[in-house]
Amino acid sequence: MPVVESDRAPDSPAIAFRNVSVAFPEAVGLEDVSFEVASGDFLAVIGPNGSGKTTLLRAILGLAKPVRGTVTVLGAGPTQARRHIGYVPQRMPFDPKFPVSVLDVALMGTYGALGILHAPNRSDKGRVMGMLEAVGLADVASHVAGHLSGGQQQRLLIARALVQQPQLLLLDEPTSGVDVANQKSIVELIRGLHDKLKLTTLFVTHDVNEVMPCLDKVLYLNRRVYAFGTCQDILNRKTLEELYQSPVLIVEQEGRPYVIVSDRHV
Amino acid sequence: MFDLLHYGFMQRALLGSFLVGTVCSLIGVYVVLRGMAFMGDGIAHASFGGVTLGFLLGVNPLFTAIVFALGTAGLIQFARRRAQIRLDTAIGIFFSFTMALAILFIGLMRSYDARLYGYLFGNVLGMSSGNLVLTAALTVLVLAAIALFFKEFKFLSFDEEAARAAGLPTPLLSTLLLLLVALTIVVSIKAVGIILVASLLVAPAATAYQLTNRFGTMFFLSWLSGIISCLSGMFISYWLNIPSGASIVLVATLLFGIAAVFSPKRRPCKVCSDREGRVEV
Repeated sequence: MPVVESDRAPDSPAIAFRNVSVAFPEAVGLEDVSFEVASGDFLAVIGPNGSGKTTLLRAILGLAKPVRGTVTVLGAGPTQARRHIGYVPQRMPFDPKFPVSVLDVALMGTYGALGILHAPNRSDKGRVMGMLEAVGLADVASHVAGHLSGGQQQRLLIARALVQQPQLLLLDEPTSGVDVANQKSIVELIRGLHDKLKLTTLFVTHDVNEVMPCLDKVLYLNRRVYAFGTCQDILNRKTLEELYQSPVLIVEQEGRPYVIVSDRHV
Repeated sequence: MFDLLHYGFMQRALLGSFLVGTVCSLIGVYVVLRGMAFMGDGIAHASFGGVTLGFLLGVNPLFTAIVFALGTAGLIQFARRRAQIRLDTAIGIFFSFTMALAILFIGLMRSYDARLYGYLFGNVLGMSSGNLVLTAALTVLVLAAIALFFKEFKFLSFDEEAARAAGLPTPLLSTLLLLLVALTIVVSIKAVGIILVASLLVAPAATAYQLTNRFGTMFFLSWLSGIISCLSGMFISYWLNIPSGASIVLVATLLFGIAAVFSPKRRPCKVCSDREGRVEV
């Protein structure tokens, strides 16, 4: 049951889920999920492991088909909208011996729009180099992609997604397997690019602290929409204590709030 | 040695070896990068069912082999999705099934046809003009498909899920790649034989994989390794009077061994020192 409903219904949502259920043979993926995301919003999707966060992203991409309900993305069906969506999948470490360079991987972001028979031209390559510059990888563009560090590989996947010139950016736990210093810089990079490129962004994480200070909205998912609303609505002590059913402490350090549940981080 | 090239059979063998070395080593890059080696083995054995049916019915065995190879590739994919089983399990089932059919067809023949031996172990020196025309036609088809879908196959091999999310028709591309592997196997049966053809799909590309970090260079090195294996294997087969499949695969494996020993990829990489939490081996 939703704890908090959104108080605002945007006119033309970038994403609209209406009573969406996704089922797998072995488990329920999502159950009766409804929410809307306005264009330009930065939505943090939080929830424990196995709560359907990745399934939610796959439903937006049309890779997971709902058994009930409808998903509308950028005013169309997910499959039609796919080319306007930049997707940063949960990172699996690259095969360090796979023979592709950093530039090769970033160029893959142009393939969907180019279509068969067209190779990236000089202007595509220039645009891709610009994107590698923006994520801080221009210096290693000729290196083997699998030789990059975890944080660099994550930046490369972000660059590849943005090379598609998407309107919507989906990130699936983009800081997993990355050290704390790099986590912070990746989150800052994503927020900077969100503003600069006027994106609608969905940032999926199991750690609420990663998206603090919160920008726009939060969706707390646990197969169902457990809570959906503005940061003020959800990331306050009272609501978080309802969500975690445990005493919550919000502490501020270096101007940044941290959520601590009982004696552990969430 | 050059006198040999005046003989028609030697000219056909030379051209046949060149075509087979080319097509196997190029499609083999995807076989290695996508981990399809067992699939290649399964399809090769399936085509033996087709070859024996061709002999039984008195039609060109390569045509029935094409039907069996493509049919089995399709069945493996269908069974994997429908029965939700692992790919290697699906291959294992149809690998044995088609071999069982081959044994059944041999049993139904009135007498054992000695030409079957050539299909099992390869006889590049016995290639007919008809074989050569078919081999050339299928080679052109496979190479054209690789050229047309070069960048799509690259994305598919690197990250299939992301390729699909980026709007590429990945189920179609992966089925097409499988069909191309099946066609390549049928093209190569006459030269390398059913039992050893999978090795020629894997060894040259695996050799190239040891030597380069560039995608395009991997194709060139694989091709080089493929034609060296096929051409030298053909001459060894002639001089030692052994089946060409064996000599070709022995050379291909030797090249792989040399590449693996001297692989520059074993050396520490330049940027690995600042990688977080990963140990370079």
